[in-house]
Amino acid sequence: MRLAGLSCVILGCAIFSGMSSAPLFAQAAAGPLLSHPAPVAPSDEKTLSVRIVAYTIDAKLDPTKHVIDATETLTYRNLTGKPQQTFPFHMYLNAFQPQSTFMTEVRRAGTRGSGPDTAWDPKHFGAITMEKLEAEGSGDLTSKMAFIHPDDNNTEDRTVFQVTLDKPVAPGSSVTFHMTFRDQLPEVVERTGYKHDFDMVGQWFPKVGVWWKDAWNCHQFHANSEFFADFGTFDVKITVPQNEIVGAGGDLVSSHPNSDGTKTLAYHSEDVHDFSWAASPSFTEKNDSWDGPNGPVAIHILMSPGHMATYPRYLSNLKGTLQLFNDWYGPYAYDRITLIDPPHGGLDAGGMEYPTLITAGTAWDMPKGLLAPEGVTEHEFGHQYWYGMVATNEFEEAWLDEGINSYTEVKVMDALYGKNTSTMAWSFAQMGEHGQQRAGYLGSDDSDAIAQFAWKYRNSNSYGAITYGKTATMLATLEQVIGEDTLRQAIHTYFMRYRFTHPTGTDFLKTIEEVSGKDLKWYFDQAVYGTNVFDYEIDDAHSDPLKWWDTSMAHPKPADGIYRTYVTVRRKGDFIFPVDLEVKFDDGTTATEHWDGRDRWFRYQYDRKAQIVSAEIDPQTQLYLDRNFFNNSYVEQGDARATHKFRNLWVFVSEWLSQLLAWLT
Amino acid sequence: MDRANYGNSISGAGLVWKWQRLLWWIFALNLVFAFFATQGMVDRLGPALDHSKASQYFVHGFDVSQMAALASQPDSPLEFQGPTVIHFSIVFMILMLFFTGGILATYVRDERPAAGIFFESCGYYFWRFVRLLIYMLIVFLPIGGLVALASMMYSRIDDRSISPYSAVHFFLAAAVVILFLLIVIRIWFDMAQVIAVAEDEKRMHKALRLAFSLFFRNFFSLLWIYLRAAVVACLIVGLCLYFWMKKLPPEATLVAFLLSQFMLVVWIAARLWQRASESAWYRRHAPVVAQEPAWTPPPVIAPIAMPDPEPYTPPTT
Repeated sequence: MRLAGLSCVILGCAIFSGMSSAPLFAQAAAGPLLSHPAPVAPSDEKTLSVRIVAYTIDAKLDPTKHVIDATETLTYRNLTGKPQQTFPFHMYLNAFQPQSTFMTEVRRAGTRGSGPDTAWDPKHFGAITMEKLEAEGSGDLTSKMAFIHPDDNNTEDRTVFQVTLDKPVAPGSSVTFHMTFRDQLPEVVERTGYKHDFDMVGQWFPKVGVWWKDAWNCHQFHANSEFFADFGTFDVKITVPQNEIVGAGGDLVSSHPNSDGTKTLAYHSEDVHDFSWAASPSFTEKNDSWDGPNGPVAIHILMSPGHMATYPRYLSNLKGTLQLFNDWYGPYAYDRITLIDPPHGGLDAGGMEYPTLITAGTAWDMPKGLLAPEGVTEHEFGHQYWYGMVATNEFEEAWLDEGINSYTEVKVMDALYGKNTSTMAWSFAQMGEHGQQRAGYLGSDDSDAIAQFAWKYRNSNSYGAITYGKTATMLATLEQVIGEDTLRQAIHTYFMRYRFTHPTGTDFLKTIEEVSGKDLKWYFDQAVYGTNVFDYEIDDAHSDPLKWWDTSMAHPKPADGIYRTYVTVRRKGDFIFPVDLEVKFDDGTTATEHWDGRDRWFRYQYDRKAQIVSAEIDPQTQLYLDRNFFNNSYVEQGDARATHKFRNLWVFVSEWLSQLLAWLT
Repeated sequence: MDRANYGNSISGAGLVWKWQRLLWWIFALNLVFAFFATQGMVDRLGPALDHSKASQYFVHGFDVSQMAALASQPDSPLEFQGPTVIHFSIVFMILMLFFTGGILATYVRDERPAAGIFFESCGYYFWRFVRLLIYMLIVFLPIGGLVALASMMYSRIDDRSISPYSAVHFFLAAAVVILFLLIVIRIWFDMAQVIAVAEDEKRMHKALRLAFSLFFRNFFSLLWIYLRAAVVACLIVGLCLYFWMKKLPPEATLVAFLLSQFMLVVWIAARLWQRASESAWYRRHAPVVAQEPAWTPPPVIAPIAMPDPEPYTPPTT
């Protein structure tokens, strides 16, 4: 999903030595320490991933009706270790119907761009219709398809079906399905669909579920969930009118014109778990490349009309992000990346990730000081690692993809554009990614934990705030405990160890503990699995003459010059975290304390020939999870300039509103 | 440039300068109302910011994310009291409607009245201007319909065009047309107000008819009088805004305040310049000699004759 970003390109990348870059096939063969049983490929297979699925799809797009007619051959390798006879499939496009679980949840609690006041418009209707389903050895299974509802018993929902074969598929064997289906693309509401002459084709084919943790994992499509699928290969032929320009997540193998005014493009992609594409006759194609450690990465950018001014921003950010991800977390495994710029009015298709294809987003009047195009580009490319290669279960642990990605977004954008200006960089207003992620988290209450099924959040605001903002903020705060470099090393280790293997949150957290050498259960229990509120404050700070009875209004200063200073720190929330306290005195001395933060409050007392100047919790401002920075400090000598500034603004607005109304007189 | 128009504008500016007390009173009233409207927010914000180091996020620069964080606090220290601001703005608008009579009378007569006479003029013309306001709101109804139609067309164009520019161009064209119509209506009704004062015309429909006739016959000269003041004001305010946003150091709070108030003064002065220029124009171009406005002296109230008190008779025991 997209996020806002900001621009002033400063390529300050730090190259860390010692980064493991062992050949990827060796990593796959070694086998990671997963928290759950994982499919095991034959030992002589030297591929990036364990390839369970092989899709061959032949599709034809009718751009006037936004209909796709296609055939699909799926060869499924049973590496589950058990005989399998029943297979579930995703039919995501059926979510764009009013009675679906997806639309029901949108109507109830909203999602990206849509909310409870969303009116149903027939042009938002989308569907995938299975016209024929066969399996080798079982014949025609079309009539045996049964829609299931594993999540909510909504019998009207058609986003998951299952089919039972005549005979089970033995462990180690394969089964081949042949399907004929038709897609009706909706006018884009979310991710997939059309707008004007632009067709964004994602989640468009019947996709088999994942055998995971000894069971089929094939959830219905929800308003706040994304996707989960097995790795494999894709061979896709796309037939479109000759004037259409296509961008796809695969290597273009061939392109040939047909006699009926169409052309057929053939793509091949391997070690990925999805295939998507977009087409429009209005695209402007731009090609570039980036030199990576595994060879050049082809960059294919398709720009929509009116947006060409953003092209250099997209390109610059993509290259910078590629470089930093390679330096910090590991090598990018593919030889290409395609960026689709949705057209005006089609932003609902933007801010999305698919293997080796991302959709960004901009506007014709995007100001240079607002780094939204850069932010969305970085964010969606970052998904190539966490969603694309590590490939965690986005239904059940959305935070592992969105949250880690949001954290790495902060690091990359700050490195490229400056810590305080990586989202907004105007002379009169600034915003950095840290602040943006934190503000996103603070905008929602703490009614949900980070580790939660995606569709079980209270509403879309909570889902977005917690999975993105709180996870990023939680990881940023973790730097205070284990150090920024250690956390980076931990994430690098996690990536290198678990890519192409569908790890879980337990795997991620255990990796952090392993690399840091620290027991962090106390932190994760509160921050990841709990809803504890983090808020420490300076409750009181003042100095009083020690022999106060010897002073008076006429002689306020003590004869011996000794003051007793009290500083009371308080834990307002229920999140327990050790905090540092710094107390400064007017003789230039400083007292530094470390409080374990367990009690509700603690009072420090100092007897000195000096009075207090300031008291501050977390003087380095690294405890981003703290809900309120404004109560973390007390300064004896107040500074009302900030209040005056806000007052000036509001007075200005109020005066102009009065003038506007007075114009009527 | 038309000499007569130039003369009107100069004499209009001269009137504003000469009677600048009006300008400063309006500005002061606007400022005081704005302070009152925002005081509640300031009372909540001060305790949260003044003694906190985190306030520096707004002093040395302006961190938007920290503003969002401040706004999300449960006690809402940053709550912008929209309804209060709107209420004060409405009161200001009503007061301006009240004062317009006295202001126009000052410009038409080019005389400084005593305070009592000034406020009496305000009251004398107030209900006429209320009626004119009602007429103007009725005239605005088709403009409102035009805005709704333009909005609908904008949405349709925006939805159907893959290029963003089609809708943008339509928006600009529609905005120019609607703005032009609003200015024309404003000039027409301003002239009606001048006639109401200069001719002591009590029938507002007649004032409107006369004003329309005058305006129609002298369309471009009156339009130019108005546009000139508006353009000058927009240029100065635009320059000030640019300087405020781009050049002024973030710590310069006092300078920013003074600059913001200077913009208000310029805006109010430009509006008064339009009113004064129109008044001067009317005195030169009126079809009849403008009658003296009815600056009625206060009525003389004869003292009530009190009967002589009865002599005191002490009670008998």
